Amino acid sequence: MDDSAARLRWLRVPALLTVVGLVVAACGTSAPTTSNLAKDQTLRVNINTEPNSLDPGQEQYSYEADAGASISEALLKIKPDLSDVVGATASSWNISSDGLTWTFHIRSNAKWNDGKPVTGADFVYAWQRVLDPRLAAPYADPFFDGTIAGAADYGNLDPTKDAAKIPDFIKGLGLSAPDASTFVVKLQAPAPYFKWIASLWMSAPVRKDVVDKFGSDKWATSPDSLITNGQFKVSEMVSKDHLTLVPNTFYWGGAPTLTKVIEYEIADDNQAYAKYLNGELDIDNVPLANTDLVKNDPVLSKQLKIVPQLTLFWMDFNTRKAPFNNPKARLAFSKAVDRDSMVKNVGRGRWSPAPFFIPKGMNGYRPDLGASQAFDPAAAKTMLTSAVGDPSKITIDFLIRNSTANKQLGEFLADQLQTNLGVKVNQVVIDSKTVTTRLRKHDYQLYVGGWGADYPDDQDWFDIWMTGSGNVFGGYSNPDYDALVKKADVEPDAKKRQDLYDQAQKILIDDAGGGFLYQRTYYQLVKPYLQGLTTTAEDFEVIGDWFWGKVSIAQH
Amino acid sequence: MAVAQGAPPRGALLSIKIPRGRGAGLGLYVVRRILWLVPVLFFVITITFVLMHLAPGSPWDKEGKQLSAAVVRNLNAKYGLSDPVLVQYGRYLVNVVHFDFGLSYQYEDQPVSSLILRSWPPTATIGLLAFLMIVIFGIGIGVIAALRQNTWVDYLVVGFSTIGASTPAFVVGIILIIIFSVTLYRVTGGNFSLPTGGFAFDQHLIMPVVTLSVLPIAFIARLTRASTLEVLRQDYVRTAWAKGLRERLVVTKHVLKNSLIPVVSALGPTFAVLITGSVIVESVFAIPGIGRAFVVAVSSRDYPMILATTILFSVIVALANLVVDLLYTVIDPRVRLG
Repeated sequence: MDDSAARLRWLRVPALLTVVGLVVAACGTSAPTTSNLAKDQTLRVNINTEPNSLDPGQEQYSYEADAGASISEALLKIKPDLSDVVGATASSWNISSDGLTWTFHIRSNAKWNDGKPVTGADFVYAWQRVLDPRLAAPYADPFFDGTIAGAADYGNLDPTKDAAKIPDFIKGLGLSAPDASTFVVKLQAPAPYFKWIASLWMSAPVRKDVVDKFGSDKWATSPDSLITNGQFKVSEMVSKDHLTLVPNTFYWGGAPTLTKVIEYEIADDNQAYAKYLNGELDIDNVPLANTDLVKNDPVLSKQLKIVPQLTLFWMDFNTRKAPFNNPKARLAFSKAVDRDSMVKNVGRGRWSPAPFFIPKGMNGYRPDLGASQAFDPAAAKTMLTSAVGDPSKITIDFLIRNSTANKQLGEFLADQLQTNLGVKVNQVVIDSKTVTTRLRKHDYQLYVGGWGADYPDDQDWFDIWMTGSGNVFGGYSNPDYDALVKKADVEPDAKKRQDLYDQAQKILIDDAGGGFLYQRTYYQLVKPYLQGLTTTAEDFEVIGDWFWGKVSIAQH
Repeated sequence: MAVAQGAPPRGALLSIKIPRGRGAGLGLYVVRRILWLVPVLFFVITITFVLMHLAPGSPWDKEGKQLSAAVVRNLNAKYGLSDPVLVQYGRYLVNVVHFDFGLSYQYEDQPVSSLILRSWPPTATIGLLAFLMIVIFGIGIGVIAALRQNTWVDYLVVGFSTIGASTPAFVVGIILIIIFSVTLYRVTGGNFSLPTGGFAFDQHLIMPVVTLSVLPIAFIARLTRASTLEVLRQDYVRTAWAKGLRERLVVTKHVLKNSLIPVVSALGPTFAVLITGSVIVESVFAIPGIGRAFVVAVSSRDYPMILATTILFSVIVALANLVVDLLYTVIDPRVRLG
């Protein structure tokens, strides 16, 4: 696996070929054999942080979605190679010819962990609840209010001042359950990517009687009231220590081989790593500082699994301020960074260089489009001089979050820009909350930002660079880009859609909306006795966490 | 030592006059000291509230994907953050009087009081055990070193306390994990090793308690040694020896009683620090304690959690000081509270 991944990194092949290669390279499932199973089928992993909530409507972090994906099941589920979705709680679905009405057929044997059947009404309730401004669900906007008919007004409804209008707003949403096994969603506009939204953590059903009985903000805080419909259920919650999952005996898909999953909440990387070495964890992230040690260790190097991750980082230029209001200056900065050296020296070989926007593992992956941002220090300096004059007169405020990893990257980038362009870079290292505050106020010039896919569709990536987006702080705006993305988002024909996105990506890279840097990988150790681990480029905290149901533990 | 010559400075600050009579007077003194907590807490709350709201960033700011403006507005409405700060402050004071410490922003609406009740017991357990170790070993080896001054025992204790006092807890913790977990696991083929972290009432306690107590033991041992040496040179000790008293009696009755006064004043704050948790030890050993909960609350701007933890810490520090002041009267009859 490692070899093929390394080879692929250097190939410049058409997107399709690469995606096929990735499936082979990264998403291999080792075949489970039932004869050699260990007596104790307990999987022990680390999700880093205690989930703030396990209510599907309230989850917003990967350490929540990790357990969430096992205990709550949405209508659809991603395929391991991310090429498409398959039915989950819904066995099938159809889309009307105008692309506006999506009808989901719920499995007759889909059950909650208390044995009651899952109905269309459970989905209507759950989705209406997410769109109730009084719940303040973190991702009601943009996933639901940007797609579901009648939900566009969500942003204009103040939970206190407009309280009287909320019941009518909820009633007017395009959500209905004509019978117990059907759930119908009406959309504002055709959205080919809606299948991914129907597979998100927040699209899982929620039981009205449970919420009414225990309280909207209480029901998900105790295993007894946490009634969910996934393959596993929570049996124990030890605050800031661990969560225990056990099989949901009523699950439609049958029982998994694992009888227990313990998800530890260990924040300290080194503590978790020691736990792995001490035989207390079965999968663990390798701390950055221990990368070479693991690579050179005869035992550990064989337990290493490297999986590309749909997460990409870039230099975020504040386009409202000089010199970055000039696209040529931005492009010059983008060309002045030696990404190979960055990956080797800062990322310890754990990242892959990416002078482009869409990461490996997505349909829109087009490394060839990154040519204009390729490293060329001489050309960069000439370009900068002709665009804004003498580089030695330019001083850049570079905002950096105060953590070891961020400071190392900041140090490297500042050095590259100073050496290759001759500009002065002033590194401003401050605490994380202050950095976010300054970003929101646009009080900065340079910052390293990034994006991780919510779902593997180009729309989730391209929308963030549209004019007025709240997720890229630099204020990039290009009407041509906006027009292309708007068109692509609703284009039903996959090939035409891809073509539009490719054009948009070319504009974004040539404009240097961002100076694209690198793609991250999962770099985790897996005990050799784990069988059936099924990884995707969209895993949350632990590789394979979408598919614990396929894992078993061999005798060891 | 100034404290031995009259009322301890902490008692003097409060300038509460109480009768000389011991029994009833002491009770009244304790009640007054506890009543003094009310204005102290009021100032603590006010200062914390102001500092908290001055710190940049809101509870809803994140590193990566940002919440949309509409969602942030909804969250502010839900948690009462859209009201003016003064209104929030007033509401908080009223609630605190009713022992309502509010709901956590970070942990989806869970009452802060129950979050604290959950994370304090592990911290308190480890802190109490460490405190016991400190009292026993710190005072013990300090006295032994003083009595055997300039022998190999003394050099060993001085050597240990110099190293112990200059080694940070995270280094001790990591070294212990490497030796007793990782290496032992490799050597014994996975049959025996101490757990690297987590909390339970078993061998999980060993390494955190040791890590937490090494530095204070070293500190208390040095302090005890120094003050015991000083007392040993006093005339009344020489008299006791001259009277032909047995060593045990001289040490317990005459030396220890006097040499422990500075040690007790150091143990009070040490106790308060231990019982409120060590962020470092809790992180290194992944203990679900209150020290780490407080740091996380501060960095995520979980206002109700920050306030409630600060209140708890203030109460503990104030009570620890009170206990120390009361202990003076037991150790040194010359001390009068008031």
